[in-house]
Amino acid sequence: MTTASHREQKLALISRLKASYPELPEWTSGDMISSDRFWAYMKCPQDQGGQLSAAEPFLEKEEEQWELMTYILCEVLGWGGVWVSEERRRIADVEIGLSVYFGLPYYFRWLWAATKTLVEKEYISWGELTDRLVEVQDRYAGGLNGQLPKAQPKFEGDGSNVKRNRWVADSLGKGDPGMYSGQAGPAKYNVGDRVKVRDLPALLYTRTPEYVRGAEGVISRVSYESPAPEDEAWGREGDRPEWFYIVRFKQVDLWDSYHGPESDSLQTEIPERWLQASA
Amino acid sequence: MSEHHHDHDHDHDHEKTVKPMVDEITEFEVLEIALRELCIEKGIFTAEQHRIYTEFAEQIGPTPGAKLVAKAWLDPEFKKLALTDPIEACLQVGVDWLNPTGSGTISDFHALQILEDSPTVHHVIVCCLCSCYPRPLLGNSPEWYRSPNYRRRIVRWPRPVLAEFGLEIPDNVEVRIEDSNQKHRFMVMPIRPEGTEGWSEDQLAEIVTRDCMIGVALPKPGVTTNVKTKTIPAIRPVGS
Repeated sequence: MTTASHREQKLALISRLKASYPELPEWTSGDMISSDRFWAYMKCPQDQGGQLSAAEPFLEKEEEQWELMTYILCEVLGWGGVWVSEERRRIADVEIGLSVYFGLPYYFRWLWAATKTLVEKEYISWGELTDRLVEVQDRYAGGLNGQLPKAQPKFEGDGSNVKRNRWVADSLGKGDPGMYSGQAGPAKYNVGDRVKVRDLPALLYTRTPEYVRGAEGVISRVSYESPAPEDEAWGREGDRPEWFYIVRFKQVDLWDSYHGPESDSLQTEIPERWLQASA
Repeated sequence: MSEHHHDHDHDHDHEKTVKPMVDEITEFEVLEIALRELCIEKGIFTAEQHRIYTEFAEQIGPTPGAKLVAKAWLDPEFKKLALTDPIEACLQVGVDWLNPTGSGTISDFHALQILEDSPTVHHVIVCCLCSCYPRPLLGNSPEWYRSPNYRRRIVRWPRPVLAEFGLEIPDNVEVRIEDSNQKHRFMVMPIRPEGTEGWSEDQLAEIVTRDCMIGVALPKPGVTTNVKTKTIPAIRPVGS
């Protein structure tokens, strides 16, 4: 039960959750924000590569039943043509915001993305969701008594009028990205070509890591054809696929402070739009 | 969370003495159950699809990957296939990348590359963006692989991080980090270690641990477990 005292306690707890630079006020004006700070705020939380971090123990984790069930829910939503996995990544790994990204378990982000997409795409309404949350909560009000909670759908719906994307039919028997093979035209770069990663103003979403932007490397493999993730992330259909490349960088070119051997390298995969020829 | 989850330092003892131990359902469980019920009632997916995918997800693990490496060590023709057409090679160790939907899994795509270590190159995989990992071949990624700690540091300080796993790579060997940030999935094929002459495929597969196929360990006779074994326990683990 929520009492006045409990409400105050809850709000006190919420007040302590911060997601801004401590040296700036909570509510800023444009004159306080440098370009670097603007892009720091706009950066996709998923892109963690190269950020400063102290060493911590590497741990295994036993999987919770709800975590496995969440993974399956998200995959089966893909199988049902509700989303492609890039849409899940955009919602779960970027739109979720920094505090939840770090604050709640990995699979909760998946679960939140499924919730958001089902409501946003009008498969279920907020009211239906909320009523069912209350119903499930009440069903187990007396505790689980050592059992796992069970889904108890009241009936199996006829899915014939459910809106589904084209991915399911188009990828059948071919897989993704094989389904896009032969649609991008000739590849612009060949293995061995020197390229530079463009430093694009990547608002909303990207999978090109911050730590390679502006860096020069060499094409190590011409990968496959696919729409770019920056477009796939919105569930768009019919965009022209483009070539992807695995680019090899020397670590000493990526990091000013790299102290390992000159020969150490890093490879990552980048769509053509992010690359330009380099001398 | 329910009331007994308040993170006030003082109420732990209080809880133990006053509140009965009730295994309350968590917000995570309520939400997953609610969504699954609504999706089945609306025909978004069928209970049968959910069952098929569950069956698939419950059987994945690193065994096929280890078998693939062992087989490649023993059979040069198979090794060539594994390096040139890895998806085809996977069929020979029981992994069809088009399973379980006919399109493959949704999140792992259908583009695999096996990275062959040599006396001059050692590979390590990571996904700095989250957790891209060859699930059908290696099962689910370990918790540390998804952690910001590993993702932030392995791309920038690879040798110190490998040293934390007990792996020191000599300076005359190139450490090559493969950041799998798009649709390709990667697996490391380490060098067959000395002291395994005359071993069978099964014997060899036993020392190809999951960590060896990520690249944070090297296979070694007598070592059949991963490097880090400290495990965060689940409240209600899978199948409990």
